[in-house]
Amino acid sequence: MSQTPAKPKPRPAPESLPYWQAAKEHRLALPRCEDCEKFWHPPSRTCPHCLSANFTFRDVSGRGKVFSFVTFHRVYRPAFAEEVPYVVALVELEEGPRLLTNILGVSHEEVRCEMPVEVVFDDYDEDISIPKFRPVGR
Amino acid sequence: MNAFNIEPSRELRDTCAIVGTATSRLGKVPGTSSLDLMVEAIRNALDDAGLKASDVDGVLCRGPDDSYSHHQLVAERLGVNARFSTTLTNGGASQIMSVALAVMAIRFGMANTIVCGFARDTWSRTHANEEVRVRNETRPEAMLAREFGPEYGYYGATAAHAFGATRHMHLYGTTRDHFGEIAVAFREHALRNPDAQMKKPLTIEDYHAGRLIVAPFGIYDCSLRSDAAGAVIVTSAARAKDLRQPPVLIKGFGTHNNTRGWFADDNMVVTAAKQAGEAAYRMAGLGPQDIDTAQIYDCFTYMVLTQLEDYGFCKKGEGGPFVASGALRLGGALPCNTSGGQLSESHCEGMLQIVEGVRQMRHIYPEHRQVRDAEVALISGHGGNQVCHSTLILGRA
Repeated sequence: MSQTPAKPKPRPAPESLPYWQAAKEHRLALPRCEDCEKFWHPPSRTCPHCLSANFTFRDVSGRGKVFSFVTFHRVYRPAFAEEVPYVVALVELEEGPRLLTNILGVSHEEVRCEMPVEVVFDDYDEDISIPKFRPVGR
Repeated sequence: MNAFNIEPSRELRDTCAIVGTATSRLGKVPGTSSLDLMVEAIRNALDDAGLKASDVDGVLCRGPDDSYSHHQLVAERLGVNARFSTTLTNGGASQIMSVALAVMAIRFGMANTIVCGFARDTWSRTHANEEVRVRNETRPEAMLAREFGPEYGYYGATAAHAFGATRHMHLYGTTRDHFGEIAVAFREHALRNPDAQMKKPLTIEDYHAGRLIVAPFGIYDCSLRSDAAGAVIVTSAARAKDLRQPPVLIKGFGTHNNTRGWFADDNMVVTAAKQAGEAAYRMAGLGPQDIDTAQIYDCFTYMVLTQLEDYGFCKKGEGGPFVASGALRLGGALPCNTSGGQLSESHCEGMLQIVEGVRQMRHIYPEHRQVRDAEVALISGHGGNQVCHSTLILGRA
């Protein structure tokens, strides 16, 4: 009997550990600069807007819009063989940063640019929850 | 302007020329390596120029990303101690950068005759047998990105570029028919090129019937996996006059890198071709209206469409109607990728675009392949993580 291999598990880089610790508690938290007050993603230890190293991880709204998206038809990894066709989207949060993610709760044919979405958490295991998004109100 | 308060590039206009060019065998070349193919292309280019390897004192060559210090390995096989030698790593933007760097090196006396080239053996690496294909798909997780991609099933350059295509379609009403016309036009050009990898005609119906890879891209939106190498030989315009071929002048070049990221700002719909092109036009003293043929980096159909806009051949957002007019066809308003491009000739990370630009400027082709009365060619290179760009403008002496 063939078995679908497990999907890749995120392996947090040192600078993104707080992101994944928050996600485990089903909170979306991003680095925010204490000097210029802007958020950024993916996490790094200097603000890409002003190069300040003075930052903290803060919770964000979890709301945003689909900036763009693609639909995978080809199976690049056997772990996703059962998933195709599936959507990978770039979501722009209300706070500004853009995140790569999946869109859940909607057929791939219904996803549109500018569609309002909100974060949901997909528990990979007891250590890792993966932020994903769904259309607002679904 | 720069710290010296001058615009140095203008001084470099027409100071150097491409005096030899050639390719290796293209397409599926089992039993060779990228280094074999690189040396094959260089040997052919030296023959074309009427030069010997011992005339070369500069090597700016690049190979597959895992080939360390490719230029050293190439020079070793050429039997050359090079005064000036390096490998650039801006992906598909590297090859034009190499030509630009060659001009600067020659201008400042660091070398006299520089070979620029790129080689890859991608078909052999991915298609030679089933074992190779499976190894690529089951690459250990430790070799993937750690986070923010693989967990979402996000892989590969096709998806990255497809994000731009979706956004462009959303903003401007661009359609897959527009992308399809690019694939069909370049295939039609490839059928006129006996060296091209693709030999079968492609209709717009075939395009739409092709299987989807990462929508909106289907199989015919994607460039080929090829074994291929190309080379050009650059020297001073003064020295070029004494050589075998009519010199093709390097009139302008420019680079720009949207290194804030492909996903940042509007970079996926307004590429670095905009600033790279403006710099190249300024150096050449020319504009889009002066370009007789364009050889555009066509890793994916959409990338051609957006670059045509960014280079000013039409307005932003009007790339779809522009290509639908038949402009890109031989005989059209802007014959583009006249050897078939990476979509249908062979994918050599932009190197074959340079080779074809040189050949068009030499007027060597029979009537059905030659852009009539072509005096100026624009060539583009795009790569890295979708953000690096370089532009080259060539002209007849």
